[in-house]
Amino acid sequence: MTLYAIIFYLLAALIIISTGIAITRRNMVHVVIYLVFSFFGTAMLFYLLGAPLLALLQIIIYAGAVMVLFLFIIMMLRVEAPEISMFPFSQWVPAAALCAASVVLGLLLLIPESQLGKPLETAIATPSDFGFYLFKRHWLTIELVSILLLVALVGAFHLGKSKLSAKSEDPS
Amino acid sequence: MIVPFSHVMILSGIVFLMGVFCAVARRNLIMILLGLEIMLNAASIAFVGGSLHFHLMEGQVFALFIIAAAAAEVSVGLALFVCVYRRTGSLDPGIGE
Amino acid sequence: MSVNAAVLAAIAPLMAFFVTLILTRKRPWLSAGISVGAVSISTVCAVFLLFRHWEMTEPVLYTSTWMVSGAISIPLGIMLDPLSLLMLVIVGGICLLVQIYSIGYMEGDPGFSRYFTFMSLFAWAMITMTISPTMLQLYVFWELVGLSSYLLIGFWYEKFSAGQAGKKAFVMTRLGDVAFLIGILLVLVHAGNLNIVEINSLGPSETMSPLIITLAVLLIFGGIIGKSAQFPLLTWLPDAMEGPTPVSALLHSATMVAAGVFLFARLFPFFSLTPTAMALCLAIGTVSMLLASTMAMVSRDIKQVWAYSTISQLGYMIMGLAAGGYVAGVFHLTTHAVFKALLFLCSGVFIHALHTNDMFDIAKSSGRRMKIPVICLIIAGAALAGLPPFSGFFSKELILAKLAALDNPIWLIFALAGVFLTAYYTFRLIFIILFPKPGPSDADSTSIAADEAERHDVKPHPIRQTMATPLIILAAITLVLGFFEDPVERFLSATVTESLSASGMHHGWPAFMALGLSVAGVLLALIEFGLPKSRQIGFAERMPFVYNLFSKRWYIDHVYRYFIDYVIDRGVAKICARNDKKVIDKSIDTFCDGIVESSRFLSFLHAGMIQYRLIVVFATLFFLSLYLLLG
Repeated sequence: MTLYAIIFYLLAALIIISTGIAITRRNMVHVVIYLVFSFFGTAMLFYLLGAPLLALLQIIIYAGAVMVLFLFIIMMLRVEAPEISMFPFSQWVPAAALCAASVVLGLLLLIPESQLGKPLETAIATPSDFGFYLFKRHWLTIELVSILLLVALVGAFHLGKSKLSAKSEDPS
Repeated sequence: MIVPFSHVMILSGIVFLMGVFCAVARRNLIMILLGLEIMLNAASIAFVGGSLHFHLMEGQVFALFIIAAAAAEVSVGLALFVCVYRRTGSLDPGIGE
Repeated sequence: MSVNAAVLAAIAPLMAFFVTLILTRKRPWLSAGISVGAVSISTVCAVFLLFRHWEMTEPVLYTSTWMVSGAISIPLGIMLDPLSLLMLVIVGGICLLVQIYSIGYMEGDPGFSRYFTFMSLFAWAMITMTISPTMLQLYVFWELVGLSSYLLIGFWYEKFSAGQAGKKAFVMTRLGDVAFLIGILLVLVHAGNLNIVEINSLGPSETMSPLIITLAVLLIFGGIIGKSAQFPLLTWLPDAMEGPTPVSALLHSATMVAAGVFLFARLFPFFSLTPTAMALCLAIGTVSMLLASTMAMVSRDIKQVWAYSTISQLGYMIMGLAAGGYVAGVFHLTTHAVFKALLFLCSGVFIHALHTNDMFDIAKSSGRRMKIPVICLIIAGAALAGLPPFSGFFSKELILAKLAALDNPIWLIFALAGVFLTAYYTFRLIFIILFPKPGPSDADSTSIAADEAERHDVKPHPIRQTMATPLIILAAITLVLGFFEDPVERFLSATVTESLSASGMHHGWPAFMALGLSVAGVLLALIEFGLPKSRQIGFAERMPFVYNLFSKRWYIDHVYRYFIDYVIDRGVAKICARNDKKVIDKSIDTFCDGIVESSRFLSFLHAGMIQYRLIVVFATLFFLSLYLLLG
């Protein structure tokens, strides 16, 4: 077992444990905090798997912007009222059954695959290589994604604003 | 020498199933959205792992786009939740029942 | 050339039907013109074909595939052989004359245009039926004939009884048609195809057992019973007189009811494979002939008399055919078509002019002063009674000769009795009209129409040209048709094997006996109705029991009513109702309740709860991946 392997298993344990804790917390703020840990772990995993730029973006966008946005909304709405039951019976039983079945299916599929047992070679895609590749081969997709983000921005703005103005126009 | 590719896939699968469980079992709209985030995260782990396994940059490119799409989805989704909360005063997905 | 002419003959009335149905509803005269023109084209084509193929030895066959199912191929096409050519000419000619007559008869009727539409439909169905090469095509047009006759009989549908009569005709012929259809299917299953030529070529005797042939023949004969109003399905025909008189002339002389006999002749070689079935046909023909003759003896309604006489003459034809007289039956069909159409059209003139169906009222309103119809009536009546030199004598004599050749003399005796009765009731009617007198019939005359006619002192309309011309043409044909016996016989037997067409003795003793009995019948009628001192009461009317029996149609309708009330209504229908309620409805109800319950149970899938949908999405995803990876 190499050092890289030890790091991988540590990171995997960090991701799984923090995610597992996150989805069982009742307090939404705690959930978000644990998820930030999970995303940090993911970012480091990306670094390990040779994608430093992605690791950076994961931290900045996911763990930074998105999670802060969640926190912001949670605090704005002040959803302090605890759920009546965190896992309603009619929901968690089918979900658990589905997950168990998927695990069994996945294991059955993975066990006979022998070629996947070969350890991965280390390699790195430097940010400049990645950037060149991205803008040479996928410039159109980049533009489309930027339009998608713009649309999402306008949509979110519209959703938030129209309700406010409708409320302010409401005489009562 | 890191680890076999199958271990990366197992990790990704476990995280994905946690996301499914979170999205399905928690009775809260924000938790559903967080479950979706976890699932997307698992998918990007699988893509980056595959990128290393097959020595193709495409996997990393895809992971980047996943991050972008997740950001867009979260912004619209949260705006919608705000609307829902203003209208119904709660974030219970079963409010209509 | 022949095929084109035949197609034209069949298509022209169809075109007229569609044009008058859709385009010229508001222009009655145009409709009449189109319809008459179309049927004229058909008639011209038919006559042309008859002359062109006068010397034919092989039937002309033209078919194209309509549907193919496995080994069974069902063609659609045209078959021209002597029988269909002769029938084509009869149908075309009678249709043409009746339509010309109808222009005068139906003038001013609000449904004038509709009438000619139905007439065209009827002509199309009938003409196409006669030239059908397969049983299935024949059956299809047979049913179309049934439909158009229903429309025509119930033409004055404002009158309740007319609608009822139409329904009765439709339903009772349908009873026979079901049997006919089953018979066709039986032939199809066992013989493998429905081509009339092949069925008639004695081929089925190799592939079908005698029992099956007998069964099939009897089932097909069921259709004939229904269509030709034979015992026991004969009561619809008298009621069908509710339609306009030209319709009765058309339906009950040459075309619709003759279709049954035509079918018999069409499948004659097939029928003659089973002596058992032929014997039964003979018996049924005889029974219908006698029953209808006796009913005609006491009827006061002029059209009813001809209706009964139609049944009895059809019985004659079936007797002739069943006794092995192919030519005899078909020739009687031909002559009967002409003189019976003439009889109906003559009665139509009286009815149109005097507004009454009752023969005593016609006599009192001095119907005899209308020269043309009276003379034509006498000619046609003499033909019906079988007096020489009119056509009926020749054809009836052929049938009697055939019957005389049978081993069992009882059929001949019955037939001769029928001859006597026919002459008696025919001349009873003629003498009543010719010699009106204020007899006792005056006292019990309750016809409202007659009272009205007297009160208003209706002058008889002058007879119209369009109505008189067909009468004269038909009378002329009636006079001369009998002398064409030999050519027609040669023509008809050209394509039939020799043993079947050999006719019996000519002008033997049965002919003289028949002549004697007809004269006796006429004399009896003269004594009872014609002489100045007679009281105009028939011998049957003197016996109340017999009179009741005859005038109530031997209680056949009552038996039907009783049967329907007690057996079907209270027996079968009750069981069916119980079955319907307890089994069918209940099972459907239970099924529906189950659906409702399970739907309610499953409704959580789309009841707005987003997470259930998510579960479904993931489950679907799971099963899809299972299928993709393992499958």
